[in-house]
Amino acid sequence: MDRNTLSLLQLCDSNFPTGAFSHSYGLETYIQADKVHDQESLLHWLRVYVTEQLVYSDGLACRLVYEALEKEDYQKVWKLDRMLTMQNLPRETRDGTQMVGDRMLKLVKNLYEIPVLFEYSERIRQNRSFGHPSVVFTIVGHHLGVSVSTVILYYLYSSVLSLVQNAVRAIPLGQTAGQKIIQGFQEVLTEATAKVMAMDEEDFGIVSPGLELSQMQHERVNVRIFMS
Amino acid sequence: MQDWTGVLHLDTEERNGRTVAKRVYFQGAFKVMRPIYHDESGQVCYYILNPGGGYLDGDRYQMKISLEKQARLILTTQSATKIYKTPNRHAYQETEIILKEGSCLEYIPDPLIGYRDAKYKQKNIIHMEKGANLLYADIITPGWSPDGDKFSYNSLQLINEIYMENELVVYDHIKLNPALQNMGELGLMEGYSHLGSMIVINEKSNQDFLDMLYQDVDTHTEECKVGLSSLPIQGFTVRVLANNTQTIEKIFSNFHHIISQEWFNKTPSFLRKY
Repeated sequence: MDRNTLSLLQLCDSNFPTGAFSHSYGLETYIQADKVHDQESLLHWLRVYVTEQLVYSDGLACRLVYEALEKEDYQKVWKLDRMLTMQNLPRETRDGTQMVGDRMLKLVKNLYEIPVLFEYSERIRQNRSFGHPSVVFTIVGHHLGVSVSTVILYYLYSSVLSLVQNAVRAIPLGQTAGQKIIQGFQEVLTEATAKVMAMDEEDFGIVSPGLELSQMQHERVNVRIFMS
Repeated sequence: MQDWTGVLHLDTEERNGRTVAKRVYFQGAFKVMRPIYHDESGQVCYYILNPGGGYLDGDRYQMKISLEKQARLILTTQSATKIYKTPNRHAYQETEIILKEGSCLEYIPDPLIGYRDAKYKQKNIIHMEKGANLLYADIITPGWSPDGDKFSYNSLQLINEIYMENELVVYDHIKLNPALQNMGELGLMEGYSHLGSMIVINEKSNQDFLDMLYQDVDTHTEECKVGLSSLPIQGFTVRVLANNTQTIEKIFSNFHHIISQEWFNKTPSFLRKY
């Protein structure tokens, strides 16, 4: 593995302090309703979440932001940041994603000198942009010269890593079960990346009704260990 | 692409306390009935008709609606929008809506019914000025199928883009694609067949109001699943999964009543045929 890919891998580490451990993105609603309760049901939810929702928002955004950076079309990057925020209709999921994006941005600003990252941060400070982890991640990946499909794959992988860790705590599941899910999920991730590469820009922001509804219902879940 | 199957343009304005049409134009398979004033409020109501009875292969519909300052319009349909088999090209409808300051639009079409092998795409683009009010609702339903299949349509795609003072504030994209998806499973339609969506934008909207609406929802029933959440601007969105149109209409109608009473101090007009 070359050096630059290794550098991007640092951002995927679940110890990378973005606050992702506080967010379940609707999973907790299913756990409370006992719809997700073991390794098999978690794997099922995870597959639907990644292939029916995440690919159309964060996944496709990684690709479109990367393409915009190649063309130095920064207006397009800011437009995608806004679209990512506005397509996220459940409030907690929208706010949570923004928080994670903001934390990630603050951190990588200390690790890399990338002008567009500073502009992004300045725009957020002026309330002209919102902050999204997929945008920050892609800016770093592009800066490191990592290929677009690797950026997408690693981004999806890091999302899955933190979700599985959260689920292991919340369901609860054993650490071995968690690792088995991550291992078994590798094929889904490569397929999801191929799906993003083949997508039409018009596919942006498609949501899956049940997932989205559960993200909205999370606001009313009685016992909560997650903020979304 | 100018080859529209049906075109409808409706521009409205407020004149001496009553909302009237400044311009009405329709052509092809779109028509509006004469305006109706349901009460003394001056709010006008237009019913849209599709004389062809349904959307067919490659049909393309266009609507342009505008409300000048303080204009108040209810826009609805006379019956459900039926999407029939589209073997070659999907049916398409695009609607552009302009809401000037202080205007108020209630756009509540009858349900959209997708029959066997139907492919449909709909795009609503709404431009609002600050202080404009919107209440929008739609219901996606499966058409009757001889073998009882709940999802015999191919795909139904609905996009709502809402701009406030030219900035995107809502991007709502639903695409139900039974040809490729397993609709019944967790995360998708979860055993339900009907999907209702409602978007409300109003400066009076806040978290307390949402709590009040939520109290009206029966959370213990298996008949439906309801989610509501506030938008990044003052307003909120509602999603309902259910097994029939009436269940969703009842929830939307209750919300509509609460909104009308709390914010406009009136009772909403009786539009639907429940």
